Amino acid sequence: MYNLVMKDLKLGVNPWFFVLPLIMGGLMLIPGWVYFIVPLYFCFITIPNMFGGFKSQNDLMFSTMMPVTKTDIVKSRITVVVILELIHLLAAMIFSIFTFRLYPHLTYIFYPPHMGFWGLCFIMLAIFNIIFISMYYKTAYKYGAATTASTTAAILFAGVAQWAGIQSPWVNDIFYGSGTDNTALQLSILIAGIVIFIAFTLIAYRIAVKRFMKVEIL
Amino acid sequence: MLALDIRNLNKKYPHFQIKDVSFQLEKGYIMGFIGANGAGKTTTIKSILNMVQVDSGEIYILGKNIADHEIELKQEIGCAFGDIDFYTRSKIKTLTDITKKFYKNWNDETYYNYLKRFKLDENKKIAELSRGMKVKYSLALALSHGAKLLILDEPTSGLDPVSRDDLLDIFQELIIGGEISILFSTHITSDLERCADYITFIEHGQIIASSEKNELKESYRLLSGSEAQLNEVREHLISYKINSFGFTGLIHAKDIDPSSSLRATTPSLDEIMIYFAKKEDVYV
Repeated sequence: MYNLVMKDLKLGVNPWFFVLPLIMGGLMLIPGWVYFIVPLYFCFITIPNMFGGFKSQNDLMFSTMMPVTKTDIVKSRITVVVILELIHLLAAMIFSIFTFRLYPHLTYIFYPPHMGFWGLCFIMLAIFNIIFISMYYKTAYKYGAATTASTTAAILFAGVAQWAGIQSPWVNDIFYGSGTDNTALQLSILIAGIVIFIAFTLIAYRIAVKRFMKVEIL
Repeated sequence: MLALDIRNLNKKYPHFQIKDVSFQLEKGYIMGFIGANGAGKTTTIKSILNMVQVDSGEIYILGKNIADHEIELKQEIGCAFGDIDFYTRSKIKTLTDITKKFYKNWNDETYYNYLKRFKLDENKKIAELSRGMKVKYSLALALSHGAKLLILDEPTSGLDPVSRDDLLDIFQELIIGGEISILFSTHITSDLERCADYITFIEHGQIIASSEKNELKESYRLLSGSEAQLNEVREHLISYKINSFGFTGLIHAKDIDPSSSLRATTPSLDEIMIYFAKKEDVYV
C-alpha cells in the first residue's frame, strides 16, 4: 500500500498539483470573496486532470500487474486524494490567518474564514469524496460523470450553506456574529466537519472496494 | 512440476465466451498460445493474472491456487503486454525505481546485466523505445525480480523479423536452466515453429488442442485432390477450400482412410489455424 501511494505521488500525480494548493491558497487574500471556491478548485482542476492522467497512462493495468491486492489499490488512491485535499485546506487555512490581519475591519457578505467555516469545507469535501470515489470505482477509469456529479453536489452544499448563513439569524450569528469569538464553538464545528469527512471517506472506501472487486481490467 | 495448470475455465460475456479452457505447462518449457484475433487468448491470460473474474474454473501457478495466493504468486510472475504502454513520458530509470519497490526478490545486479545485454539506456523515456525494446524492458523487469513464470501477451507482434528473431533467442536462453517457464500468446505461428515446445490452440473461446508441437502437427493432415475426390472425404474434413486445381482440406490424422489415394501432407501451424477458423465460418 505504501509503495502504491509512492507510485502515485512520484509517477501519477504531476508535481504541479502539489504547488496548486499554495497558489489557490493565495486566493484567500481576496477580501470578502466566496472562500468556498478555494477548496473547490481541487474538484475543478486537480481531480479531472489527475484521473485523466491515470486513465491515459494505463495506471489501472500497471497497478494490477504489481503484487498488490485490489483493496490496496483503492486504499492507496483514496489516500492520495485525501493527502491532496488536506494540502489544499491547510494551505488555505494558513493564508486565511493573513486575510484577517490584512483586513481587520472588513464586513463580510460571504463566510469569513473562521474555524467553523473550515468545518463546513471539510463537510463539502466529504460530500465530494463519497460521491466521486464510489462512482469512479464502478469502472475505475471513467471519471467524467463522477467528477460532474460530485462537484455539483459539493457546490450545492456550499450554496445552501452560504444561503443559510445569510438568511438564518441563528447560523449568521455562529459564523459572522458573536459565535466567531466562541473558540470552543468554532473548534467543535471544525472537529465535527473533520469527523464527517473521515466517516464519509471511509464509507466511500468500503463502497469503492466492493465495486472495484467486480471491475474487469481490460 | 507444473508451472501453470488451468482447469475448466469458464467466462461468459454478452457476445463471447471462454468455454471449459484447460491446459498445463510443464516447468522449464515454452508454450505458445495461438489463436486468431478475438479467439480468447488475452481473456485467458487476463484470467490467469486475476484481472478478469472467471465464472468458474481453477488456476494453479507453481502448484498454488492464484485465487488464494495472488500476492505471493505475482512475485513469481513476470508479464508483458505487447500493445500496452505505461507512463510513457517517464524515464526507464524512474519507472524501474518505482517498480522494484514492489518486489522482495529484486536484484539490481541482474537488472543492470539485462539492461546491458538488451542495450537499454535507463535515461531514455518509455516513449522513445521501439516496440521490441519495450518488450525487452518488460522482460528485464520480470527477470530482475526473479520471475519463474513469464506470461507474455503478443510480445512479438508488430516487431520486425530481426527483433523477433532476437527475442525468440532470448526466450530459448531463458529456459535453459529449467527454472523459468514461458507462456506466450501470438498469432505469428512461425515464431512458435522456431521456439515453442508446446502449443495450445484456442478458437472461439475453446481449446482445440494443447500438446507438444510436433505431436499437434502430426495429429492433422492436409489433404489435396480433385473436386471429384472431395465427396469421398468431405464429411471427415474439418474444413476445406476449393480452387481451380481441386480442393485442399484439413483432417484429423486418425480419420484418414489408409487406402485413399489423396495426397496428404503435414500441415503447418498456420494452416491448422486457418482451417479451424474456416470451419467456424461455415457453421456459424
